[in-house]
Amino acid sequence: MSQRDLVAELRAAHVEAPSEVRERVRLIAAAAPAPRRRITWRRTLVVVVPVAAAIAATIVFTRPAEHPQVARELHTPAAIDRARAQTHGAAAKAFALPSATGRVQDYDATLSVRVEHAKDVSDGVKRALRIAALLGGYSASVHAETSGSRAVADLKLKIPRRHVQEAMARLSQLGTITDENVSTVDKTASLNATDRQIARLQKQLKTLRADPQSPENTRRILALEQQIVRLQRSEATTRLSAHYATVDLHLETPVVAVTPKHGHGPLHGLGVAFRWIGIGAVYALALGGPVVLLLLLLWLGVRVVRRRRENALLEI
Amino acid sequence: MTFQQAAEAHLDDVYGYLAWFTSDPFAAEDLTAVTFERALRLWHRFDPDRGSARTWLCQVARTVALDHFRSERRRTRREELAAPPEAVDFHFAEGLSPDLESALARLTAGEREVVALRILLDLDAGAAARVLGISPTNCTTRLNRALKKLEEALHVAA
Repeated sequence: MSQRDLVAELRAAHVEAPSEVRERVRLIAAAAPAPRRRITWRRTLVVVVPVAAAIAATIVFTRPAEHPQVARELHTPAAIDRARAQTHGAAAKAFALPSATGRVQDYDATLSVRVEHAKDVSDGVKRALRIAALLGGYSASVHAETSGSRAVADLKLKIPRRHVQEAMARLSQLGTITDENVSTVDKTASLNATDRQIARLQKQLKTLRADPQSPENTRRILALEQQIVRLQRSEATTRLSAHYATVDLHLETPVVAVTPKHGHGPLHGLGVAFRWIGIGAVYALALGGPVVLLLLLLWLGVRVVRRRRENALLEI
Repeated sequence: MTFQQAAEAHLDDVYGYLAWFTSDPFAAEDLTAVTFERALRLWHRFDPDRGSARTWLCQVARTVALDHFRSERRRTRREELAAPPEAVDFHFAEGLSPDLESALARLTAGEREVVALRILLDLDAGAAARVLGISPTNCTTRLNRALKKLEEALHVAA
């Protein structure tokens, strides 16, 4: 018999379980519980992984306390300037106090303006001088300094008091106001007192001139005349200084603050997690590698022994 | 597929496999029942994506048979001292010639097992190898060796 015939005969054979066995197995199968919904690890993963990813993404992107972009934005010089500009933009005109007509007042204003670039400082100086000249004023002093991208300029402008409001408004447009200060001192009462004193001295002088001339009288007339002239000059100086308001203008580029790098991006948490996973993986590889290798060898050994025993068992 | 359906569909296959494997009809009957009892307990582990129910039941049956062989060997060792074991007159299947029956009886359990799986149950090399826990190539080698042995035995008988 050829091997082909042998296989054909073996294939034609039919083995049927005895009825007793069939009955026993039927009883066993009848005890089987109703099939439950199978929750395999694959099905579980299909649900769990997207849900976990969605939760992680939600946590990463919606952490309000550590929204670094917003926090950083709020602390940049530009943002500070914008905030100040919003605060001071309207206040620039309000701060330039209107001069009281008919009153003699000393008017001093300080205005600090920040510009973006060093070139803007130079342009700002030119524009400020032009504004002063157009309003009938002049510059008392100008100091400008540039060092790399940093530039600073200080100007002392004398502006006619009646134009000071307009001057302040126009100067405030040179950049972003970072600081301003206005002070006025009323000199009218002091001038009135001086006027009264001059009038009194002139009255005394008139009386002395009417008196007979004597060396003593002449000396007193001279002293009175000198006092009157001194008072008149002082009064004139006061009126002149009150005619011009002093505006100290400070122009500067922003100070580049070296902020410590603690700003984190939105995926910083993910980066940290991956870094620690990487560190863990290296440790696991270094420490777990030999252990895994040992276990693998052990498993292979056990498998070989078991296979040999099994083969010996089946050699019946 | 439910357990009942699997048991109904593959009872003969499991019994046939165990009968040829053990070459003992009484043991095969008991082992078949034990196999299905154990399969019922382990049914939740059965994954249709990894293999057919028949292959899985044969794997369970093989484990049960190996346990049987181990306990039999221990028992035989003890009893051989008292009395020699009796030869069991077993018909492997209906329709086999007496020479082939006798040639099959001369095969080892391991050889009968691979013949049962590959020829009687008609499992492919991959499925049979999975049941045996060996590679498909090794399975084919075992089958060829068993068939050659059968062929030689039949030739001698002729």
